[in-house]
Amino acid sequence: MSRILKFVLAANLIVIAILAFVYPNLMVGPGKLIPGHKQLETDCFACHAPVLGASSERCVSCHKTAEIGRLTTTGKPITKPLTSTPFHQKLINQDCIACHSDHAGVKRFRPQRHFNHALLQKATLEQCQSCHKSPADSLHRQISGNCSQCHNQNKWTPATFDHRKYFELDRDHNASCVTCHAGNDYSRYTCYGCHEHTPDNIRREHIEEGIRDFDNCVECHRSADEHDIRGRGNGAREGGREDKDD
Amino acid sequence: MTTSLWRQHILPFTFLVGLLAVVTLAGDYLLHRLNLVWVGRYLGIPGTLLIIASLIYSLRKRKYIKTGNPKKLLTLHEFGTWIGASLVLIHAGIHFNAILPWLATVAMGVNAVSGMVGKLLLDRSRRHVQEQREHFQLRGLSRPDVEQAMFWDAVTLDAMNRWRKVHIPIFVVFAMLALGHIISIFLFWGWV
Repeated sequence: MSRILKFVLAANLIVIAILAFVYPNLMVGPGKLIPGHKQLETDCFACHAPVLGASSERCVSCHKTAEIGRLTTTGKPITKPLTSTPFHQKLINQDCIACHSDHAGVKRFRPQRHFNHALLQKATLEQCQSCHKSPADSLHRQISGNCSQCHNQNKWTPATFDHRKYFELDRDHNASCVTCHAGNDYSRYTCYGCHEHTPDNIRREHIEEGIRDFDNCVECHRSADEHDIRGRGNGAREGGREDKDD
Repeated sequence: MTTSLWRQHILPFTFLVGLLAVVTLAGDYLLHRLNLVWVGRYLGIPGTLLIIASLIYSLRKRKYIKTGNPKKLLTLHEFGTWIGASLVLIHAGIHFNAILPWLATVAMGVNAVSGMVGKLLLDRSRRHVQEQREHFQLRGLSRPDVEQAMFWDAVTLDAMNRWRKVHIPIFVVFAMLALGHIISIFLFWGWV
C-alpha cells in the first residue's frame, strides 16, 4: 500500500471514530430511544454498564421501584397511568430488561405489551381483580375471584374451562353455545333447545323409570349416553326415582 | 471472443454475486417465517470467525506461516469468506439502525465482490500458466513441483498484483469498521 493511500485510510477511519464518540446514538445506537429518554441520547453509560449492557440498577437509580406507575421520575403524580394498578412493586425481582427495551431496533424483536404473569409474586398472582376488571356480562357478574378455574394466565380467550366436567360435547352435541345457553347466559342451560329432546318425551321416559325429579338433566347425565349416569343423581333413588321394589 | 468473455468471466461472476444475494434474502426470509429472528443477531459471530479463519491463506501467502497446502488454503479462503459474508449479511438483515455497522456491511460487500473479481482473475492467470506446463515438464520437474510452481506463478502474475493493491485497502477499511462495530457491541451489549 502506498503511503498516501495509508494516510487517506487512516484519516477516514479517525474521522469515523470521532463521529462515533460525538454522535454515538447515530453511529452505534440500535435505533432511536423512546421519547422519555431522548435527553440521554449521547450518554450511553447512563443506562449501560461497560461489557455488562443495560443494567436494572441504573434504571432504578432514576425510576424508584415504589414510585413506578404512581409518580414520574420528577416526583409528579402520573395523570394517565398505562395500567390501572401499579404492579412493579409486586414483581419477584427487578429485572427491567426482561420486559423493557428503549431502542427502536431492539424493541422490534421483543414481544410488546405482553406481560408475563410468571414475574409476579405468588400472592399477587391469585388476585386477578387487583389489575383486571371483571367482564360485565351476566355470567361474570355472578362470579368474584377464582378466575383460574376457567381461564389461564397466558390468554383470556379461549377460556380453559373444561366443559366435560359438566357435560361432554360429543358428536351428537356438537352444537353452538346458544342451543343450550339461550341468550349466551352460561349460568343457565336447557336440553330442550333441539328437536331431539322435548319436555314431553323426556317426562315420559323418566316417569316410566319411576324418576320424578328430572329438571336438572346434568345432575345425572354428563354425556349423551343415557346409561352413563354419573352425576349426583346417580343416587337418584334419593333424588327422584321411585324405587319399584318398595 | 464476446461469447468467451461472457461465459468465462461475466456469467460466473454474476452467478457468485447473485447467489450471495439469494442466500442472504432466503436466510432472512426463513428466520422471519420461522419466528427465529433472534438467531440472526448471533449469526454475525460465526460469520466473523469464518472470515478470520479464512485469513490463514493470507498469512501463508506472505509466509508468516510455513505449513499448509496453499491451494487448499485458497479454497478455504474463497469458501470461508463467501459463507462468512452471507452469514454477516443475514445478521445485518434489512434493519437500518446505526451507521457504523452499515458502513462495515457495505465495506464487507465491496470486499466480497472484490474477492470474487480476484477469483476470476486468478482463474484467468491459471489458464495462462497452464500453457507453461509443458515448459516446466520439459525442465524435468516432478508433477507436485510443477503444480506448486504453477500455483505461485498464477497468484503472482501482474494482474493479480494490481488487483491486490485494491483488495487489501478495501479489506483494511472493512476490518477497521467491523472492529469498531464489535467493540461497540462488547461495550454496550449485556453478555452476562
